[in-house]
Amino acid sequence: MNLLSPGTHLLLTIALPLIGAVVLWLLGSRGVQAVRQSATVTAVLTLVSAAWLILRYLGSTAAAAGAPYAVVEAPWLVDGLFDVRLSLGLDGLSLWLFGLSALLSLTAVLVSWEAIQEKPVGFYVLLLLLEAAMLGVFAARDVILFYVFFEFTLVPLFFLIGIWGHDERRKAAVKFFLYTLAGSVLAFLGLLTIVLWNASHTGKVTFDIAALTAGMAAHPLPMNAEGGWLQMLVFLALFAGFAIKVPIVPFHTWLPLAHVEAPTGGSVDLAGVLLKIGIYGFLRFSLPMLPDATAVAAPWIFGLGVVGILYGALVALVQTDLKRLIAYSSVSHMGYCVMGLFALEPVAVEGATLQLINHGLSAAGLFALVGMIYERFHTRSIANLGGIAARAPWLTVLFMLFTFSSIGLPGLNGFVGEFMILAGSFQRAWSGVAPVWQTAYMVMAVSAVVGVVLGAWYMLWAVERVFFGGSREPPRGAGHAHDHSAAAHGAGGTHDAGGHDGHASHGHGAPQVAADLDLHWYETAALVPLAVFVLWIGLMPDTFLKPSAGAVRAAARPSADAFAARMESLTVPLPGNPATDTLTARVVPLP
Amino acid sequence: MTTSLETFLLIAPEIALVVAALVVFLAGAFANLQSGWPVAVAGIAIAMFLSGGTPDDGGTVTSGPVSIDGFSLGVRWLVLVLGGILALVQSGDTFRTATSRSGTALRWGTCEEAGTFLLLLAGLSLVGVANDLVLLFAGLELVSIPTYILLALKRIDARGQEASLKYFFLSLVASALFLYALVCLYGIGGSTSLAEISARLRSPDDRLAGMATVLLPVALGMAMSGAAFRLAAVPMHFYAPDVYEGTSPGNAALLSTLPKVAGIVVLLRLLALGTGGAFGMAGAQAAVAGPAATAYMTLFWQLAAILAGLTMTVGNVMALLQTNLRRLLACSSIAHAGYLLVGVATAAAADSALSGRLVPGTDTSWTSGLGGSSATLFYLATYVLATAGVFAALTYLGHRWPEWSATAGSRPPREEISTVDDLNGLSGTNPVAACSIALFLLSLAGIPPLPGFWGKLSLAITALEVDWNSSATWGSRRAAFLALAILLVINAAIAAAYYLRIIAAMYFRSTKRGVQADGGIAAGLAMLICMALLIVVTFQPRGLFAASSRAGRVISAPTGTLVAPQVVSP
Repeated sequence: MNLLSPGTHLLLTIALPLIGAVVLWLLGSRGVQAVRQSATVTAVLTLVSAAWLILRYLGSTAAAAGAPYAVVEAPWLVDGLFDVRLSLGLDGLSLWLFGLSALLSLTAVLVSWEAIQEKPVGFYVLLLLLEAAMLGVFAARDVILFYVFFEFTLVPLFFLIGIWGHDERRKAAVKFFLYTLAGSVLAFLGLLTIVLWNASHTGKVTFDIAALTAGMAAHPLPMNAEGGWLQMLVFLALFAGFAIKVPIVPFHTWLPLAHVEAPTGGSVDLAGVLLKIGIYGFLRFSLPMLPDATAVAAPWIFGLGVVGILYGALVALVQTDLKRLIAYSSVSHMGYCVMGLFALEPVAVEGATLQLINHGLSAAGLFALVGMIYERFHTRSIANLGGIAARAPWLTVLFMLFTFSSIGLPGLNGFVGEFMILAGSFQRAWSGVAPVWQTAYMVMAVSAVVGVVLGAWYMLWAVERVFFGGSREPPRGAGHAHDHSAAAHGAGGTHDAGGHDGHASHGHGAPQVAADLDLHWYETAALVPLAVFVLWIGLMPDTFLKPSAGAVRAAARPSADAFAARMESLTVPLPGNPATDTLTARVVPLP
Repeated sequence: MTTSLETFLLIAPEIALVVAALVVFLAGAFANLQSGWPVAVAGIAIAMFLSGGTPDDGGTVTSGPVSIDGFSLGVRWLVLVLGGILALVQSGDTFRTATSRSGTALRWGTCEEAGTFLLLLAGLSLVGVANDLVLLFAGLELVSIPTYILLALKRIDARGQEASLKYFFLSLVASALFLYALVCLYGIGGSTSLAEISARLRSPDDRLAGMATVLLPVALGMAMSGAAFRLAAVPMHFYAPDVYEGTSPGNAALLSTLPKVAGIVVLLRLLALGTGGAFGMAGAQAAVAGPAATAYMTLFWQLAAILAGLTMTVGNVMALLQTNLRRLLACSSIAHAGYLLVGVATAAAADSALSGRLVPGTDTSWTSGLGGSSATLFYLATYVLATAGVFAALTYLGHRWPEWSATAGSRPPREEISTVDDLNGLSGTNPVAACSIALFLLSLAGIPPLPGFWGKLSLAITALEVDWNSSATWGSRRAAFLALAILLVINAAIAAAYYLRIIAAMYFRSTKRGVQADGGIAAGLAMLICMALLIVVTFQPRGLFAASSRAGRVISAPTGTLVAPQVVSP
């Protein structure tokens, strides 16, 4: 084990995709086969390295103590100027998201196997750059380094969407980039203010996240009129950055466009990992560093989360495009994470962090499968699809599995996360808020449950249309068997403009259609790992909850305490009943 | 003031540039030298070699009208490195005469161009070392006059003539305004020596205050206007799009970098009058600041802050509307002038010992170690690097063929790359150029970890630091700088929109038109040098930070009260 110190191991894991990208670039002239094979090898190696690192973490003493693991530090910009460090490490907060990034990157590479025939070198190089940036953002322990990775995730995805996307790719790419950048520059100012505030109290200009967390606990930013409500301003600045990234309704408008236009590999990374960075940012910065502002804002953001759940679900209900439907379901599901996080109840916050992983697995799986359906039938329109189950049974099985995971079927991972979030939210509504807030919290929590029902409705409706019933859209080139729908095929064919003509090999042989339509080996390899984790988390959630529980609770505690104190101050004790010690006992009649 | 041999030794690099210019002129006239650019590059190399031998940054060496300190050394190196890059760009700068359409009339850089360019560099470097109003003005004119010549030489069609005339007349007005400001300063100081003016301005003489209320606003307003022209800042910004569009890419590279360096250097030198920095004042003398100096600094930051806010917003909004590439980059350079002015305003507000922030022994003596002037210089370096790189790439690319089919008859003449659409599909036809343009533009947009990000980081952090310990009530200085910082980052996000449009054209669109890439190997080399420097600063910004910090510290505070920045150990 001493051959590779944990720090070096972490550094190597993040560097592997970069090394792979260089190798890929050198191999570029050898043709698409060599390129995609080496991309796959790189992604597999990175995944193995990340998985091994996670196992080492779980076996280490750091895991038990909740301390950061595999810390590497090197000065970057110290010379008496800023104390910016290349500081990396893993802790309970980032552990699973780090692993998820490595896992989904492999999925993203594999689902692009046939879909990307045009400029494959650039595509896979960008995909691997994106992987390195995603791994880095979760491992960063320095504010500047975090921000560098945070912004750097935009650049590869900008090109991925803009070059390999569908018809409106240029607009989608630019909108995605600008929207996210506009928020994150404000978040950056907020982070700088935190750094300066800490510096003015400790005399040290440090960008170390752990030191800043401690500094903010010792010297909180002022949350009163004399201090200019600085803490609230900083909170709002961070909110601008992270809320757009999540996205929290009403800051979500970039997301459906970006998802629909992105190539499948980009969608997988976008839905699976990049959206999580927003929640991760809240948990890493806002909750531990700005507890008083969080306590004030929490009910409103909790409400926005619920609005997001309902809004996303209702809009998903009326979609005709399968990919767009899943994009809106992402809005809805990220609403649960927001809600769980800002319930500020330990169970709910843990549920929200687990739900990040759950949504990462199910949304990535669903986007990958939609991409596969598009490759086969050249349409994503729900009206034009039908009866796929009979022709591609394994594809259907996996789609059903991820659908059930997404709608929270007990026994699968989605259930665990949603249950914890809802349980925590009800707990908060029942006994954790001041009476003036209680009705509102109850209404919000109940509405979130309605969202679960809506979620099942639109997903099952879509599954029924797309996978069962008569077939409406024949596979490309197999039109002889389905002459009656040749017109529909022609209509679907107009979608080909995006340059995804990788499927000339399918067809011509009508008898083998069924075999051809089902999953290829690389598609199976892309999806089965996700399915394994869907089941694993669903059946044994403790394996995943335990290692992160301590860190997650610690991160949420300052805000939870501040929230409790605020609720306390809002609660008017009943005259003559001073001995009450729980909030529920003090029911005050509403004025 | 006595001029001795030592004075000439101190400005040996500038003298070397002038000598090289004379050699080029004479060789062109009498020795039938075809291209002066190799000699020019050699001259710059000699100047670099000579400036390596000048005194280190430990103190200030003053002799006659010349004063060498960390600041002037930093400026000199910036000018020489930038001059080397621009010389390569200029040598590849091509133009078409109004009469010939066949492309045979492409003319490579002649000796006159190379010589005037060297004089321009010498003038700019002299601005950095000037310790006297007269030399300062002479240096500035030595920047302006060669610029007129270069503009007029390069392009002889109607648009080129319009551009050079427009620049000529407006520049004259700006110079006149600036001269008027210098006269007012002379009136206050009673001397042409900057050190003496500074000493007088900072003296606690009450009689000065009365005079200062009249003269200072006039002097500062005029000086700001003069500098604003060179920076292309509001209200003297409107010429930039027309002139950049009308002239050649190589000249646009020059216009968007060297005058900006001049403007910032002049502003910081004038700012030092108030702080007393850069003039080697002793501790006791430096610690005192009279009412006039306070008024001067207050007015300075207020003017600079207003101009900064207007300039970056106007520049970015104008840039959003442009389709012509050089017009767009002109507007982008206006916006960057605004960012630079944020740094100047910060320097005026916070770097001086007047604010008390840098005074040791109080509980407010913490600092990030980077003052506003250092941040400005750092940003200036990252900006000129990326901008020179973009124009180097455009010069290198030169022309492209219009779309035509063989059946349509003879091939139409080549067209200069002028609009954003002309770059369509460049990633396919010339991937190296496309990749470097993309990197330069992303750096200008401030995407981490490129140098532009480090620049915006230092500007934002120093602006946030202003009056840190007072509350941000309405109308307070801290609120103003908070607003400026917010405006800065929002503008950075707006700016990304038009930079991305260029990148999207290069990468997301395709074309059947071929690119000629007729700008020559030298311009391509300049592009690659810029890219290499960009990558070095991206991953190792410490060197440039340290250099600009050394240079800026001279401006920031009088030697006596300078607090050594705290090195934090974990």
